[in-house]
Amino acid sequence: MSLSRRQFIRNVSVFGGGLTLGFTLSAPGRAEDGAPLSPNAFLRITPEGDVIVQIHKVEMGQGTVTGIITLIAEELEVDPADVRYEMAHVDEAFKDPEYSMQVTGGSNAMRVYYQPLRQTGAAARAMLIEAASRRAALPADLLRCEQGTVVSADGNIRFSYGELVPVASQLDVPQEPVLKSAAAFKLIGKHDQRLDITPKVDGSARFGVDAPMEETLVAVVVRPPVGRGAMTSYDDRKARELPGVHSIVAIDAGVAVVASNYWRARKAADTVTLEWEPGDSLLTDSKAIDAALTAALEGDNLVLVRDDGEPPAAAAAQILEVEYNLPLLAHATMEPMNATVDPNSREVWVGTQAPDIASSFAALGLGVEADDVTVHNQFLGGGFGRRAMPDHVLEAAQIASALGQRVKLMWSREDDTQHDFYRPPMKSRLKARLGANGEVLGWRHNLAGPSLMQSTMNAMTPALAPSWVPDFLTDFLAHMAGRKDDSSVEGAKELPYAFGHIEVAYRNVETPVPLGYWRSVGHSHNAFVVESFVDELANAAGEDPVAFRRRYLPAESRHRQVLDRVAGISNWGDPPAGHYQGVAVHESFHSVVAEVVEISMENGAPKLERAYCAIHCGRVINPDIVRQQMEGGIIFGLCAALKGEITLQDGAVQQSNFHDYPLLRMNEVPEVEVAIIDSDDPPTGVGEPGTPPASAALGNAIFAATGQRLRDLPFKLS
Amino acid sequence: MERVRLGFVLNGQPQELSIESDTPLLWVLRDVLGMNGTKFGCGMGLCGACTVHLDGVPVRSCSLPINAVANKQVTTIEGLSSNGDHPLQQAWVAENVPQCGYCQSGQIMSAAALLANTPRPSDADIDNAMSGNLCRCGTYGRIRKAIKRAAVGSWEPAEAQS
Ligand code: FES
Ligand code: FES
Repeated sequence: MSLSRRQFIRNVSVFGGGLTLGFTLSAPGRAEDGAPLSPNAFLRITPEGDVIVQIHKVEMGQGTVTGIITLIAEELEVDPADVRYEMAHVDEAFKDPEYSMQVTGGSNAMRVYYQPLRQTGAAARAMLIEAASRRAALPADLLRCEQGTVVSADGNIRFSYGELVPVASQLDVPQEPVLKSAAAFKLIGKHDQRLDITPKVDGSARFGVDAPMEETLVAVVVRPPVGRGAMTSYDDRKARELPGVHSIVAIDAGVAVVASNYWRARKAADTVTLEWEPGDSLLTDSKAIDAALTAALEGDNLVLVRDDGEPPAAAAAQILEVEYNLPLLAHATMEPMNATVDPNSREVWVGTQAPDIASSFAALGLGVEADDVTVHNQFLGGGFGRRAMPDHVLEAAQIASALGQRVKLMWSREDDTQHDFYRPPMKSRLKARLGANGEVLGWRHNLAGPSLMQSTMNAMTPALAPSWVPDFLTDFLAHMAGRKDDSSVEGAKELPYAFGHIEVAYRNVETPVPLGYWRSVGHSHNAFVVESFVDELANAAGEDPVAFRRRYLPAESRHRQVLDRVAGISNWGDPPAGHYQGVAVHESFHSVVAEVVEISMENGAPKLERAYCAIHCGRVINPDIVRQQMEGGIIFGLCAALKGEITLQDGAVQQSNFHDYPLLRMNEVPEVEVAIIDSDDPPTGVGEPGTPPASAALGNAIFAATGQRLRDLPFKLS
Repeated sequence: MERVRLGFVLNGQPQELSIESDTPLLWVLRDVLGMNGTKFGCGMGLCGACTVHLDGVPVRSCSLPINAVANKQVTTIEGLSSNGDHPLQQAWVAENVPQCGYCQSGQIMSAAALLANTPRPSDADIDNAMSGNLCRCGTYGRIRKAIKRAAVGSWEPAEAQS
């Protein structure tokens, strides 16, 4: 049951003219008879009493289904468990006001939609009360909403929401509905049961990979091994003889082998050979990238992105100069990339973080208009930034278009590992001057790395005919134009410590490697560099790492709050015998997180014993989801620190599957304890902020245990 | 590749099919029988997303040719319980285990095989049984708690586990 196109148009919001954050409730207008009560595109209540919410921020594990429903249900006075949800289609109403796109990323769903979603629920509540007031001939202030009903103060009159819908749906939508006070919250800050679990434990959850198989062929693609290599010829003679093979077609990315099921397609694809040219990519390897980054840092074209305080007058008693290196990383979502496209109905089944980009790329592949394409978004088997990119959707659409019938494109794990958009490699050189008493007189941080935005835009646009570039992308580019790409320096530039003189400078280095947004983006590398080097300074100053940080953090700061809290819960400074601790604190996505990682040493290798975390993320909506995101975010960061490395040889990724791009396993992860700081501030991000401090906290623990300062990721102890 | 006719029992239902004998059970389940609860993650026995039970023993269905399944009993996540109310499924809900959820069918099937043989698993038993199942979202700690919660007659009281 989805909204009709007309219904959606009636509910379209216009950003910029709305109540808050470019969000509007519907303009006055009469609904059709039998219409649901729908104050805007996010919510409708049917005459049968069904409450149905659109999930416009996709569910990839970070808990948006639960968060969105909690906010609406709080104001609407319904049990969250009774609310139905649908994955939102592409619609103007769901464009994120900060990105001008319908995209999920940047840990902003609860921060941006905290007010608008409550307003949605509150508007519906007001309309239901008004409808009940008319039906019962009672003043509205003698009526209240309770458990999906409107009830009179004396309890004698009670209407279900459904029976009020015919009247309520004809009312004007209040433009400034009254929100509940925080003291009256029953769900926000309390509701802890995830609402998407049942289908995820009984096998019924539908991911992109589970798109309907009726009348569907399965395609796999054989690609040149190099990121942007171009196929020149191929030999498919053997493959054509194999059982189950339906057809073999060339597309931009390579050769698609289409068969009755995945296995037949895969077996046939294994016999296809390709000739290819490097195309617009230069053949490159990890050494060449490293040399380019070094050359950039040794050149003099760095852009100063921060320069405050006075250069120190006092002579330095100690000068520290070090270099940190971070590798390319793959996303390794558990669900490999896939997309199913029906060229006749122009439907797409995919789990995507950016459904409007997906629909545009499907349209490109099908040779139709984006408006003609319907994207059925699904649960995402992990996203982490990877599923914002539309490459697999374009491939599926091209294959489906060539065949004229519905095709499910399946990437193998090898495709997924070798044709990702990787977390950029970064090199940092830092220099600090310490005074005679260990005080930090000066901090200089120089970074070199590729520009993520430039790389992403390259991936989005050059394949496309200029006439095609869709409006939203033009808007987005215009929106971004004039802004420099902060993602390389985020988390380095905002160094929170009150050191004497702080300079941060950056040099953009182009590489031909396809790059993408990876959970916590620039913070994923800069938190490691900054918080490791701060630890080096503490050591040089002969001071405890927590005490040293506290000394340079403002007294009332959130940084200090989380640091103190994590020191408390981790029993900082007094670990069990044979255990060693490291600490790090970092702000990202408007939240501040401090972590302590506790290790022991086993056969010369660090063993993760425990991790402790304190987060300040403003008002908490679902506390257990915050804990989940911290637990998962920490393991994501520790995994990268211990194991994550993509290397290139002659332009090709050398890793292929979980044996050579390993993830942490059950027997390797620490127990994680999470503390959440109580706060009435507006909500801030939780999906990403758990990741950045983890690698630094681990490196600092390794230093505590061994005296070895490891400055390159992944850690390799000598 | 030769085509074979064979039969096996899937979640209590007899199945008959004719298929190339090298086809892994995973693709028979997903692409031929439309049973989508069992997931594809790596195709090499490295991630456990495809775990099902073969005569009660946990196996990686991506690496098990259909030939090896002839005349045997296969249980998938869809057949673990009739209403999604296996003690492990209930414990998974109580502990809010899943995030993206993609690995969880395989996790639950591995855990169910563990509990069937070891009703009161130690942490080491859990490590042994579960280390073949990857979770990119990092839900391992909650999986451990949920297994303990579901374990028969041990770890009481259940509420104290959360
Ligand atoms: S898909 Fe079978 S173990 Fe990974
Ligand atoms: S819950 Fe996402 S991979 Fe395990």
